[in-house]
Amino acid sequence: MTTQTNLAEAGAGDSFLKGISRTLSRTDIAFVVILVAWIFIVVLPLVILFAFSFFTTEYYETVYKPTLDTWIGLFSSGRFEVAFRTLRLALTVTLIEFALGYPFALWLAKARMRSATRAIYLAMLTIPFFLDTSSRTIIWRAILGQAGLINTILMHTGLVAHPVEWLLYSEFSVHFGLIVALYPTMVLPAYLAISLIDDTLLEASKDLGATPRQTLTRVVLPLSLPGVLAGIVFTMGSALAAWVEPGMLGGGFVNLLSNSIESAYTALRYPVVAALSAFVILLLLVLLALMYPLMRMLGFSSLTLKS
Amino acid sequence: MDDKFSTTSQIELTRRSLLGYVGAAAGAAALAGVMPKAASAATPAVKAYGVPTSALKDWTPMEKSIGITCELSGANNDVGVFMRDIMASDIGKEMDIFTFESGTQNILGPKGFYARLDEKHPELTLWQRTSDDWKRSPLAVDPDGNQWGVPMIGNADSFGYFPAAVGVPAGSTEELSWSLVFDDEKTHGRVAYGKVYAYSMGTAALYLQSKGATFGNLADLTPAEAKTVADFLIERKKAGQFRTLYDAFEEQIQLLTNKEVDVINCWEPAVREANNTLGPNTVFYAYTKEGYNKWGIAAYISAQAIARGNGDNIYKVLNYFLGGEYHALQARDRGYGGPNLDLAVEYAEKSGWSADEVAALKATEEKVRKKFTKPYVSFTTPKNASAMEEEWQRFLNA
Repeated sequence: MTTQTNLAEAGAGDSFLKGISRTLSRTDIAFVVILVAWIFIVVLPLVILFAFSFFTTEYYETVYKPTLDTWIGLFSSGRFEVAFRTLRLALTVTLIEFALGYPFALWLAKARMRSATRAIYLAMLTIPFFLDTSSRTIIWRAILGQAGLINTILMHTGLVAHPVEWLLYSEFSVHFGLIVALYPTMVLPAYLAISLIDDTLLEASKDLGATPRQTLTRVVLPLSLPGVLAGIVFTMGSALAAWVEPGMLGGGFVNLLSNSIESAYTALRYPVVAALSAFVILLLLVLLALMYPLMRMLGFSSLTLKS
Repeated sequence: MDDKFSTTSQIELTRRSLLGYVGAAAGAAALAGVMPKAASAATPAVKAYGVPTSALKDWTPMEKSIGITCELSGANNDVGVFMRDIMASDIGKEMDIFTFESGTQNILGPKGFYARLDEKHPELTLWQRTSDDWKRSPLAVDPDGNQWGVPMIGNADSFGYFPAAVGVPAGSTEELSWSLVFDDEKTHGRVAYGKVYAYSMGTAALYLQSKGATFGNLADLTPAEAKTVADFLIERKKAGQFRTLYDAFEEQIQLLTNKEVDVINCWEPAVREANNTLGPNTVFYAYTKEGYNKWGIAAYISAQAIARGNGDNIYKVLNYFLGGEYHALQARDRGYGGPNLDLAVEYAEKSGWSADEVAALKATEEKVRKKFTKPYVSFTTPKNASAMEEEWQRFLNA
């Protein structure tokens, strides 16, 4: 009896293992591994983050009692505005970067020039990455300030009677600082994508009677879209997390997400940090949901998830 | 006051851990007779983590005086980062003492991260002569009267100003009003104000108090009081009173040296640094009518340190912080006061300092004494920190 039971158990065990084996063989193992890793590395921390936003802080200690107080405080204090302001600023910077960076990337990739010259331009783009952001940014204060270089020139040439105040410690200066800092993050991915477009395709487009504008919009832009999207992600992600530029050039008048989180951190208000971060993630998801059908409507078929 | 510090601290810790392992290996090698000379030549060290301004610019005089050196890893002024490093990162495993502004002992003492001070320790010879004004102040004891720290330095912060811009003669010791910061036409749009609530909210409340508002504790504003202060600052911000809200010490110096502002609530060393660039007696640090942001830094012992057997060295260093040499050097280099300043003058005279240097030291002593007669004492860990931070964000977002 015992032997029969053991055999039956062994048989059940074998079939179970075979079942797993069959399942695994049917499933893309890489997909499963990535999914599990993604859940542990991305989803789980986000769930914990979201859960933390329902706690509060009292005298530098987190009170683990579920409440909506932190979320209510986020809105009653107007703190949620930093999320919208950060998102608006990041979007504006990204759009300006695209408008400035894409033509430059196109020129750099396709204009007739010696490879040494191109290498020099690329080096000029990448050198700033190796310099400390604070050191690069603080210089602008000496240039944009009331007694700075630009105001001195404007005053001496008689173009203005008084220093232009909005050049520094304003949204303008934060935009400016971010655009300068993030220019390479937009240009380089776009440049790489455009470089990979075979010149014969451009010749074919021309031979078929397309105008330069048609070649740009129907050939170059769609084919370089992966690079453009990478540039948008890198630029917007960096702008959303910007801390140095708004801190140094905003003069305390452009309070962005990272500054607000830092402030909450000084009182060890982890639930506020969690609520603010969760709110931004929700906003980004809404934005993504709105952008996806819009991009498809505009004909960017390469964005579809279908093969 | 710069980010971000947390990263630096962690790197520093990692580096320290690595050095610790290397040190341990070297120690083992020394015991084996491989490097006996290096081991015998080492100066005993006390490891500290805290605000850099509490450190001497050069520890050599201390080494010569008591035969111990101090290895200080700099923390920024962010109390959140500081307490996280102690509570979450358990930095006490590495450090012997912590130096920070008043307030952390109320939380970290009872929680067991700080060791209670042994006032009768034989190495703490200057303790008895130290005045209660310092050693029994909220800088070193908690609300229950437990003694956690040894007072090191302190000052009464006000604002730096260009005399011509505010209409007073250069070098005047006239007491000026904080209205020059908040609502004076002469300085409209030419004021820089600190962006950290713990530093700037109290002085705004101090000014409002002089205008008739009532506050229980200027350093620990209730939600309603914090709202009153934030409403006032929002009104002044919208009126264009502030040119900028600054973040860091380096910014204080730059705003003055660039002449971007005429008035700034700042640390006194920033005025000294600005005068080093602009020339002597260009910028002055105000005596005020209403009061000051009085602060102090104390040294607290890590709970794990005594068990490591370094107690005598720690108490020798703590005693040094109460002595004349430390305070003479801190007063000369940073303009800071502290307990036992009479010993500082005595030290300077015995050490052959010039008459001008001794006079400057006496002037610092007198300055601190004069300023400390006025309100109010700042505090890094107010009970209402969450409410104050929340209202401060409302001000920043307005």
